[in-house]
Amino acid sequence: MANNALLDRAFVACSHPIRRGILERLAGGEMTVGEATGDFGVSKPAISKHLKLLEEAGAITRVVDGRKHRLQLREQPLDDAYAWMTGQRELWERKLDTVEEYLREQRESKHLQQPQEQGHENRQPKESR
Amino acid sequence: MSNATDTAEAVMTGETSLRIERSFEASPEEVFDAWTSPEVLKRWWAVHPDGSTPAAEVDLRPGGRYRLSMEGPDGERHTVQGEYSEIDRPHRLLYSWQWELDAGGLGPISMVAVEFRADRADGSRTTVVLEHTGLPDADSRDRHAQGWSACLEIFGTRGFTSQTV
Repeated sequence: MANNALLDRAFVACSHPIRRGILERLAGGEMTVGEATGDFGVSKPAISKHLKLLEEAGAITRVVDGRKHRLQLREQPLDDAYAWMTGQRELWERKLDTVEEYLREQRESKHLQQPQEQGHENRQPKESR
Repeated sequence: MSNATDTAEAVMTGETSLRIERSFEASPEEVFDAWTSPEVLKRWWAVHPDGSTPAAEVDLRPGGRYRLSMEGPDGERHTVQGEYSEIDRPHRLLYSWQWELDAGGLGPISMVAVEFRADRADGSRTTVVLEHTGLPDADSRDRHAQGWSACLEIFGTRGFTSQTV
C-alpha cells in the first residue's frame, strides 16, 4: 500500500501507446534516445514528455555518456505493477473462498432447522467411523 | 518458473486486467446475496487475524457506495471503497474499486463486473465470472482499450518468466 504513488506512475507509464512502444524497444536492450524514440511520428516536445513520465515512473533510466544519452529499461516498477495484479487476484480468490464457506454454513444451518420428518439420517454424526 | 508464466497468462486477457471464474453449489440468488452480504465482506476483509474487526458499509442500490475497512496490528489501514453502477439481482453487478491511500485521497479507479450464471435449470449450481478492469487514472479512462495490461503483457513474456519469486 505504501508504494501506491509509485505504482500509479507505473500505470501511467503503461497507459500510452508511444510509451509502451518505447518500453518495448528498450526491452531489446540499451538504446540511444534517437533509436528508442524515432519514427513515432510525433514532435520532440511530445517525446520529451513521454520520456519524462517513463523516468518518473522509474521504468527507464538515462545514462549520459558525453553528448550521447542512452536509455535503459528498469524492470522493477513494472514488476511491482504485476505484483499488485497478483495481490489483487489473491484478494478475489479469498473472497470466493469466503462466499463458498458462507454458503456451506447457510446450507448446513438450513439442514439443522429442517423438521424431524425430513429424516434423521441428516443429523447422524458423520464423525463416527 | 513455468508457474509464473501460467499465472501471467491466466491474469492477462486482452484489455481486461483480471478474470476469475468459480462455480458454487447454490442458486444465483443465494450466491448474489452472499456476494453482497456485509457479513461475507467483513469476513473477507479480515486480512490480519490480529487486526481490528473490519467495517463494511454497503448501500446496495445504483449509485450507492460501499466501503470496507480494517486496521492491521501495525496500525496500517486497508480500506477500499466504490460505487455500485449496475445492480441486476441475481444476474450481474458492476461497481468501481478504489483504495484509500495512506497519504490521504484515493488511488486509481478500476471497475469490477461480476456475472452470476445459472449452470442448471433447477438453480442448484451457479458460476461467478469476475472481471476486474484496471484503470490508471481518470484522465486515461478513454484510452482504456489500450491500457496498461497490454503493456504489462509485453513484460510478462520477458521480465516475469526470467524471475523466480
